[in-house]
Amino acid sequence: MSAPLSAYEGIVGSAVIRQLRQLGEKLAGTRIVHVNSTREGGGVAEILEWMTPLMGELGLQASWEVIHGTPPFFEITKSIHNALQGHPVSISVKNWKLYEDVNARNFERLGPMLEEADVVFIHDPQPAHLLSLCGRRKGKWIWRAHIDISRPYRPVWKMVRPMVEAFDASIFSMAEFAQTLPHPQFLVPPSIDPLSEKNRALETPEIEAVRAEFGLDPSRPLLVQISRFDRFKDPVGVIEAYHLVRKVAPVQLVLAGGGATDDPEGKAVLADVMEAAAGDPDIHVLLLPPDSHRTVNALQRLADIIIQKSTREGFGLTVTEGMWKGKPVIGGDVGGIRLQVVNHHTGFLVNTPEGAAHRIRYLLHHRERIEAMGMEARESVREHFLLTRHLREYLALMLVIARGGQVRFLEV
Amino acid sequence: MTPFEVKDCALLVRMSGLSPATNLRELRERFAACSWSVLFHHYCETTLRTTYDNLDYRNDFAVWAKLYLGDRVLAERLGILDPYSFQSLKELRAATLEVIDQRLSESAMVPWARHGDEFFFMEATTVVFDAGIRITQPSLLGAFIREMTNGSVYYHFLEARRRLPIGMDDFTAWLLKDEEANQPYIRALASVDFYFRSLPDLRRELARVLTEAEAAK
Repeated sequence: MSAPLSAYEGIVGSAVIRQLRQLGEKLAGTRIVHVNSTREGGGVAEILEWMTPLMGELGLQASWEVIHGTPPFFEITKSIHNALQGHPVSISVKNWKLYEDVNARNFERLGPMLEEADVVFIHDPQPAHLLSLCGRRKGKWIWRAHIDISRPYRPVWKMVRPMVEAFDASIFSMAEFAQTLPHPQFLVPPSIDPLSEKNRALETPEIEAVRAEFGLDPSRPLLVQISRFDRFKDPVGVIEAYHLVRKVAPVQLVLAGGGATDDPEGKAVLADVMEAAAGDPDIHVLLLPPDSHRTVNALQRLADIIIQKSTREGFGLTVTEGMWKGKPVIGGDVGGIRLQVVNHHTGFLVNTPEGAAHRIRYLLHHRERIEAMGMEARESVREHFLLTRHLREYLALMLVIARGGQVRFLEV
Repeated sequence: MTPFEVKDCALLVRMSGLSPATNLRELRERFAACSWSVLFHHYCETTLRTTYDNLDYRNDFAVWAKLYLGDRVLAERLGILDPYSFQSLKELRAATLEVIDQRLSESAMVPWARHGDEFFFMEATTVVFDAGIRITQPSLLGAFIREMTNGSVYYHFLEARRRLPIGMDDFTAWLLKDEEANQPYIRALASVDFYFRSLPDLRRELARVLTEAEAAK
């Protein structure tokens, strides 16, 4: 259950909350339907969990619907998802038919609501086919792509593109993730909820309990990378950087992520990580259950420096989370990390393990910079990457779609 | 004096539809033909956009030249262009093209960006709405500004310069209705070198100079 808008006032200030209420007034009564493919787990569900009630609190009639599907359907949509992000995955004609059939069955249930809605947000490709079934729609339909589709696998994109082109607008997290489409493509970066379990302030005893649980030494610097065990997150590169620093400074490293039991590639990466870490008691490889939000929160707060040394990245919300904890981030010079990490201000962008090691050593030699950059990082998140900004841009988008089209200036 | 009506605004950014530029020559071609809203966005709306606010340069062209073309000379020449010092966007476009053309003529090779580092041309809609606040006394202006959103500061102090009367912020335009009595505040606002400040910093500075002007009265 998300917090009411007033709970954020102490974090972002009353003026920001008042601004949301003023914008909400202009949209009072607007019927909004969000559609995605899962109620829990994953970033999209996390966003909708707070966005839907907050839109409601602002006077909009917002609802969140989830499409129902069979395991084969979700295997197909997972393949579509991967293909749109560039993986060469072929999808048979039979499977495309199954994808459409499941969408059609969901339309039987959701149709009346979708037809009446003023604005429908379809999140990611799983429910995208619903639009072609909604011949009597009254409102505007917007496709929200949470993934990077800049270099899709062409055979799959050829099938998805006509579906997406029929929308009135689309939303991408960054310009770099977008495709050229024949409708307005808005850019709305994601955000974090500062009151969620993963980001809320924790009491010292709880943080210290996590330190004790994992045997972390309070007297020595701690480096933390939180991310799944994926080659693009370069956990082995992080260990290389650690080894380079360890020669001269008594650092500890935590690599924490979810388990990889159902992901063959994740298993292989984890095996490589365990091998690279073998025998070093100061490298802590933690396989955490998916609901370990408070543990992750505590680990980020225990860190002196947050690492996110990705070689390919979406937006990189773990960077945002680390910055919100007031920590400098040493991040890969890719994707959304670039939007958040600015050299010498909120952290450092690096391209190699050597670069990461160099910046870690720099910060360990300039302890005062750790604190100063951490504070700057936190303020940057407060300004740009909290849910209040995200909500404001959705409200603005609905006003633009409803009243203004693509004008430069819209007075409402 | 009639009360000052505080407005607020939210920026909604979108792709412009122009192809991304992969080198300086492409940047020049696209920039020469882009719409005023694209030009305005990359020069003026950067302060209100969702991005870190304290880069070396205020406009996106200079940032791109430095970070992705690796051309620091070009970045410095573009970075010093203050869009608010030009009478029109037409003049700003001409000045920018002059800088790029000069650099192209100086360079033996056209600088390129790596794949993934292209310049993406964007534009935005500024959604303006009533903040529901009225300021009745010039002496209270500083205190009100201190509590304003970034959107309000942007709209009244920066965006205003592109509206009539051209080149003037809304606060000054309001204070001029009783010019003699409000001279200390008008001078205080005019003393702020605003272009290189982030919006939170600008808000603090405006509030500070107005508060000092009030104290000195």
